[in-house]
Amino acid sequence: MKKNYGYVFCLPYTVLVLGIAIVLLTYNVIIPMQNGLRIYKDIFLDEMFKQSIVNTLIWTVGSVVGQFFVGMGIALLLNSSEKYMWIFRILLIIIPWATPDIVAGVTWKWMYNDMYGVINDILVRIHIIKDYMPWLGTPSLAKLALIIANIWKGYPISAMFYLAGLQTIDQQLYEAAEVDGANWWQRFVKITLPMLSPITITTLMLTTIWTINYFPLIYIMTGGGPSGGTETLVTLIYKTSFKFLNLSKAAAMSNILFIIILMIAFLFLKASDRIQGVR
Amino acid sequence: MSSRRRKIKLIKCIRISLLTISSIIIAFPFYWSIVNSFKPYKEIYSFPPLYIPHDPTLDHYYVISDMAFGKYLLNSIIVGSLTAFLAVLIALLPAYAFSKYKFLFKNAMLLSVILLQLLPQVVFLVPVFKILKNLSLLNSFMGLSISYLPFITPVIVMFLKSYFFSIPKSLEEAAIIDGCSRIGAFIKVILPISIPGIFSSFIYAFLFSWSELMFAMSFLTDPDKQTIPVFLSIFVGQYQTRWGPLFAGSVLATLPAFVLFAILQKYFVSGLTAGALKE
Repeated sequence: MKKNYGYVFCLPYTVLVLGIAIVLLTYNVIIPMQNGLRIYKDIFLDEMFKQSIVNTLIWTVGSVVGQFFVGMGIALLLNSSEKYMWIFRILLIIIPWATPDIVAGVTWKWMYNDMYGVINDILVRIHIIKDYMPWLGTPSLAKLALIIANIWKGYPISAMFYLAGLQTIDQQLYEAAEVDGANWWQRFVKITLPMLSPITITTLMLTTIWTINYFPLIYIMTGGGPSGGTETLVTLIYKTSFKFLNLSKAAAMSNILFIIILMIAFLFLKASDRIQGVR
Repeated sequence: MSSRRRKIKLIKCIRISLLTISSIIIAFPFYWSIVNSFKPYKEIYSFPPLYIPHDPTLDHYYVISDMAFGKYLLNSIIVGSLTAFLAVLIALLPAYAFSKYKFLFKNAMLLSVILLQLLPQVVFLVPVFKILKNLSLLNSFMGLSISYLPFITPVIVMFLKSYFFSIPKSLEEAAIIDGCSRIGAFIKVILPISIPGIFSSFIYAFLFSWSELMFAMSFLTDPDKQTIPVFLSIFVGQYQTRWGPLFAGSVLATLPAFVLFAILQKYFVSGLTAGALKE
């Protein structure tokens, strides 16, 4: 009996999504085929491609780690049933989330502006920096600036997921731990983190994949520059296909990207299995 | 006892101050859009930046409303609601089954569901366009919503799966012992306490389509059907951005999401606070 329900609910959906995925992916595999496998060799020899891999790694690790800590911190702070909490929920979660990508991109770009930008002005006023910095003007500063903007734009989803997860934890567990004399840190490590681990691993997997694939902010704020310093795989794919109109090279690069992300997703699913098996 | 009460009060104070500080930082970019939307151009380009407009003006808002902003707003609301409603409806049962039942090929099925997450949406632009064209779904809200679903529903399935997983099995079993069918237990017991999770999924789907630019721009070419991000993108030029109307438009674009959230936010905390777990 039990087995049947699993299939009844999952199979139609899975078949449909898989069907769509196969159609779309096949399209992508077939296009570069026209030029044979040589195109892949060319890509791996391309300096820009190598640099974009490194940039993608920095961009992804920075953003995902940042979104985890900010998201978890904000979720813990928001996890309370006090009446006034709704105003903080709107300020902290909805504002960055409901800001369309294009708006977030241009607003941050304007705030980072080396001349009229408000970030330079504030940082100089509170004596964190001495002189105005060209935030989007050097490769390493631009990476940092983009990661900060992306943490701002992306962390609400993590916070929302963690907050929803926190609500499922039985308060009695905390009360019992408190009676046993556990302090807040012990309660966090021994109760909150383990109870949240299924949601955490799913969230980390999704944010990792999203960050690798997310490009509107980069595209709007730096366009991959300066001198390729913020060019990720995805901005490179976008440029290759829509600017240089080299569809087969773009498709070949996206196939490489696909393999990389597939491996990452597989590792996360394995980890998620282990965690859920333990509980 | 009084020292305990003092401790609780202290914790509350710390929590509120931390929340206030984070809110000021996180909401600042939005504040900056609001301030700039009321500045005349002279003040937008002032050095150093003005934190409060000296000579506030509504000009940028007049520009926006002359360009039929309301129409784009309505279009975005229609697409967002349609997408969110369909996405949650489609994802609910598979998510539940993936979390509660064991069956053969479950992991393979899960992996195939998230296949489409593994590549950036850019890659699918051309094939999805061709498919929609064949189905004569270009320039229709339904078509755009449908094109989002393969990308949105897997995320909701993954999220709700881990959400359902953290709901104790004992609850469902108790309902079945009391004579509910499995479906009955799902509707009467699981659904009501899953409202925060379902609500998060709804918000996720709504804001996804609220923010999405590329598909919206390519599939809805009819000016009467375009969404807010597409409308805003006309102010962003390659060499010059019209900051005034852009900021005015982005302030107005974020408001409906606030309203939606403010109305619905009480569902976000209901869930288990009703004491569903006290056995």
